[in-house]
Amino acid sequence: MIDFLNYLINGSLVGLLYALIAMGFIVIYRASKVFNFAQGELVVFGGFIVWWMVIETGLPLVVALPLAMLLSALFGLIIERIFFSRLVGESAFAMVMVTIGLLILIRGLILVMFGPQVRPFPVIFSLKPVIIGDVLIPRSLLVGAVITVVVGLGLSWFFNNTRAGLKMTAVAEDHQVALSMGISVKRSIAFAWALGAVLSTLGAIIYLSGKSLNFLASDIGLAALPVALLAGFESIAGVLLAGLIVGAIQGLVTAYVDPVVGGAVGSVFPFVIMLVILFIRPTGMFGWRTIERV
Amino acid sequence: MKNRLLKWIAGPAAAAVIVTATPASAQTTYNIASLADFTGPYADIMKDLVGARRAAIDWWNDEVGKGLGIRIGIKDYDCRYDAAQTASLWPGIKAELNPVVILGVGGPDVAALQGRLPADKVPMFMSTGSYGYVWKPDPWVFNPRPTYGHEASAFYEWFRGARGIKGPLKVAIISSEASPAYVDIAKGSEKFAKDNPDKAEIVETIYTEVQPTDLTTQVGRLIRKGVQVINIQTNTAAVVATRRALQALGKTDIPIMMSSHNGLIASGKAIGGMKDLEGDYEVYGMAVPTDQKSRAHDFQQMLVAKYKSQANWTLASIQGFNQALVALRAIEAAARKVGADKVTGEAVRNALLATPLTSEQTFGILPNLTYTNEAPFPVSGLTVNVATIKDGKYVIAGENAPVPVINKW
Repeated sequence: MIDFLNYLINGSLVGLLYALIAMGFIVIYRASKVFNFAQGELVVFGGFIVWWMVIETGLPLVVALPLAMLLSALFGLIIERIFFSRLVGESAFAMVMVTIGLLILIRGLILVMFGPQVRPFPVIFSLKPVIIGDVLIPRSLLVGAVITVVVGLGLSWFFNNTRAGLKMTAVAEDHQVALSMGISVKRSIAFAWALGAVLSTLGAIIYLSGKSLNFLASDIGLAALPVALLAGFESIAGVLLAGLIVGAIQGLVTAYVDPVVGGAVGSVFPFVIMLVILFIRPTGMFGWRTIERV
Repeated sequence: MKNRLLKWIAGPAAAAVIVTATPASAQTTYNIASLADFTGPYADIMKDLVGARRAAIDWWNDEVGKGLGIRIGIKDYDCRYDAAQTASLWPGIKAELNPVVILGVGGPDVAALQGRLPADKVPMFMSTGSYGYVWKPDPWVFNPRPTYGHEASAFYEWFRGARGIKGPLKVAIISSEASPAYVDIAKGSEKFAKDNPDKAEIVETIYTEVQPTDLTTQVGRLIRKGVQVINIQTNTAAVVATRRALQALGKTDIPIMMSSHNGLIASGKAIGGMKDLEGDYEVYGMAVPTDQKSRAHDFQQMLVAKYKSQANWTLASIQGFNQALVALRAIEAAARKVGADKVTGEAVRNALLATPLTSEQTFGILPNLTYTNEAPFPVSGLTVNVATIKDGKYVIAGENAPVPVINKW
């Protein structure tokens, strides 16, 4: 029973980490209708900025982390300015293709700026786990889960209750309509990219604390995809629930099915969930159902 | 009249002397295609690996090739550790360079070329351990080391002896299904344990992501199963995640065993310091690049001093040396057998299979090697070396530990 609880809790916490990364997908999608294939690369880039600030320049964490967030936001703005501000009103397909190019570009940039070596990521959260009775919880994941819930609820409130958030929602509905209502589509998209980059850096901090950093870390972008799909690409609060579901199932499958079949079913299972969702309910649990009148 | 006759005789005679003398003094040039990864996952070690290959060839051209009338040329090709890239570059390499030998980097090169090389009659020399799925007769791809499963099994035996463990060693394997090679590595150890239950017991094989999110739960399970050694022959990210999990669980006395591509130095850099890897091990069938004096280290230093070698004393450079030296010694043997001007890829392969290579010929970088037509690596007589971190220092823990016999899996 204790084992079951351990696997369930740890799985759920990993799921919430996926949810944080998935929020990056959703924020960008909501503002620009772009599915950002380079989300994992934004995580890696954010990770390298943190590594550079803390390990290379030796700045204390309290200074380095906010600075890293700021630089990430700037990076997001630069991406928007160079690529996406020119594509306002263009087809979603064109924008998605640009994100694929962006993926390759960011990888190249990292190689040029930081080199190909595997880097040690600083220990942001204590390595000592939180022990409650026989339940053992990794501290970075626990703190990360709290941050994820706070950020998720905060963003949900922002998008549903503030003028700026509602403007971004209008932009997500239709660029032309938003423009005709006097909403600056470019500004909304720029904000979304900056926010998406900051969320990715936050994800990198939780995910990589005390571990190593290289290109492989971008895989988490792919792992977060089923969470975003289960939630529906428009729901930020929904992504928290979706993260818990995907993470808990993945944790239990890893614990009980992997040893039996001798393989990483746990790693694949979220993608099985993703395919099932796409078949049954393509809009996800909380996605918008668009009604088009001809 | 007499003078004219002398001139008439002397002219052609002198010409004949020049003609017959020319082949002996001229050098025949053969090329080596040096596959590399300058922009892929192993870009960070390529400078040393390629630098070592070039340095070994400079030395050979100067001190061996001259005497044989052979000069070896080398050209690098960036295959990005990508089978598709290697496969697409190969026809061009063949047409441009007409190589007698290829030096490969890793599994993608093998996957791309192993089917073509028997027809193209060009052998490829690797620097890494081999794999169960290429363990087939009539090879054209050659490894100087046995499979990673063999190397791990040699470590299990060495470790049992070093620690005085009487029963089977309880081993856990942390691997990944991201690459067939990683799965094969685990299968090799599992086969050894299955055939030798008195020597090793695999308590669990955990397949995880290549960059694991968190392994605390899985490692906790291994501890409860009484694991004595954790085998990680995949990458440094897995080593770091496992060591962090062990630290989180307060079990820092369970050693991790690594290989050459994710060894102590690389993993130490990835985790942020060697002290975190105190008591961990790395194992492979070639020299260990510690600061301790050795023939292999002397060879590397000689290359730096005399041939301006750019290769530092690292695992990557040892890998570059090992494959280059095996290839060069095979070319040497082929030249002696068929003649310096008749060396072909096929002659090099035949010479390698017919001529045992001594450890002295590779300056102690490799053990004695006797290739046969049964496998891409020598199936018997191999040994491994073991390194560890002791008091924060990278040192040799064991040398020439015999590689046990493992049946195919």
